Amino acid sequence: MDVSPQADDFVPAGLASLGIEADETDLAVMSVVHQLFWPPTLKLLALDTSDLELERSPDLSRAP
Amino acid sequence: MNEALDLTLREQAAAIAAGDADPAELLDAALARIESRNPAVNAVVETFPERSREMLAAAPDGPLRGVPVVIKDEWPLPWRAQRFGAAELMAPTAPGESGPYRALRDAGAVIVGVGNMHELGAGSTGNVSVYGPARNPWDTDRCPGGSSSGPAAAVAARLVAGAVGADGLGSVRFPAAYCGLTGLKPTFGRAAMEGHHMAAITSLIVSGPLCADAADCRLLGSVLFGEQLAAGDAAGLRIGVVHDPVSEDVTPEVREACDDAVEALRAETGGEVREIALPDLPAATLAAILLINAESLGGVTPERLNRIHPEISPIARATLKYRMLLPTAATVQSGRVRTLMRRRLADLFEGVDVIAWPTIPAPAPPLESPLVELPSGTLTADQANVRGAALANLTGIPSISVPVGLSAERLPIALQLQAAWGRDELLLDAAEAVERANERQWVESKPPLAEAEPTEA
Repeated sequence: MDVSPQADDFVPAGLASLGIEADETDLAVMSVVHQLFWPPTLKLLALDTSDLELERSPDLSRAP
Repeated sequence: MNEALDLTLREQAAAIAAGDADPAELLDAALARIESRNPAVNAVVETFPERSREMLAAAPDGPLRGVPVVIKDEWPLPWRAQRFGAAELMAPTAPGESGPYRALRDAGAVIVGVGNMHELGAGSTGNVSVYGPARNPWDTDRCPGGSSSGPAAAVAARLVAGAVGADGLGSVRFPAAYCGLTGLKPTFGRAAMEGHHMAAITSLIVSGPLCADAADCRLLGSVLFGEQLAAGDAAGLRIGVVHDPVSEDVTPEVREACDDAVEALRAETGGEVREIALPDLPAATLAAILLINAESLGGVTPERLNRIHPEISPIARATLKYRMLLPTAATVQSGRVRTLMRRRLADLFEGVDVIAWPTIPAPAPPLESPLVELPSGTLTADQANVRGAALANLTGIPSISVPVGLSAERLPIALQLQAAWGRDELLLDAAEAVERANERQWVESKPPLAEAEPTEA
């Protein structure tokens, strides 16, 4: 999946909307990070968990 | 007294308790060894001899009375705030009594130094730190693993016999694996956690022991847990193994060493190996990353990021900013994936006692270029490592890394075992069974640095 165009738009636009400053180094690193994170993030969002009954405030020291 | 430093943690404790070793001399020997060996590994970033001597003078008659240990730069001490391997933290910190500090103090241990760590805990390699990188005692041009880089390098170099780290996405297990040690990631909530700057909000981070072998991890783990971790024999162990694209994406020598270790563990325990399926591991890995991301950004504002310390590394600075952009919907979905994986694991642990796979897909990469060559191609070590570690943090189950071999380049290879919630003791039993099966060959292997004839007084 080619996400470079998305990174070119998404990262600067997102930073600007939050008022976060970034220099060229920041943007270059973020572009790489975005290419690593974004495709699996889209896959995660696409995972169908609609039938799942969410465990509320799970006690992580124990089995569900 | 230098010889005593080369004993295991439990042997040091026993020698002091029996009057065969003088703890004051042992402390001096540890400080001297840090002075002589630490420049090669940069494992210990600060010592405080007077504080250590005060701890020794006040040490109660506990299970670690007089034994020197190192604690990761993730935990505050009464005389020192943690720096988290960074020029600054996003959260306020102050000196104080952390849970691990109290546990060590009450056990009679002597904290002899603070261990280096990967900057902000955000890396599996240990090659980035405000103190400079820690180095792997097996090859000082290689990564020691992270984020508990210093504690692992300190134990592997035999500066001390035990150290306390923290594990949010594998940060005890990776350095244990890279440095040829045993490292336990406890069940969430079982080990001391008070005083950590994220203690109130984290659902993934735990404190954990790094030692040469499982028996020492049992001793130090018992101190951190505040309860005795009883020993068993792991008889009839049912071992689950996963064969999927991620689990198979390891170097051939890692695959062979781990397969051999699983078979040896089966034979030693009279158990059986069962193939199991664990779908959606990549989603579980990302879910863990997104959750720890959300937890660690609590209270961080855009304005705060705009005045970030100039000595924070460019990668950490940019990543922090990028993390603010990740969609909330994905974090919410991560919670759902957590539920999904917890239920799947609960079902799986009805049929197996442990799940086994390699801790790290390839041995320690170079410090200057932490990349690994895998069947799928070239990946950053962080990308590759987290795939095998995050599940335990996401779901809360315990996990242990056990050394099971050396590569052709004489770099450690490690097997990871994971068990159901609260079965930390079983993992220690299983790790000891692995040690017995290979006649303790790998836990007794020492890096060249630790084999060097000590020159200190």
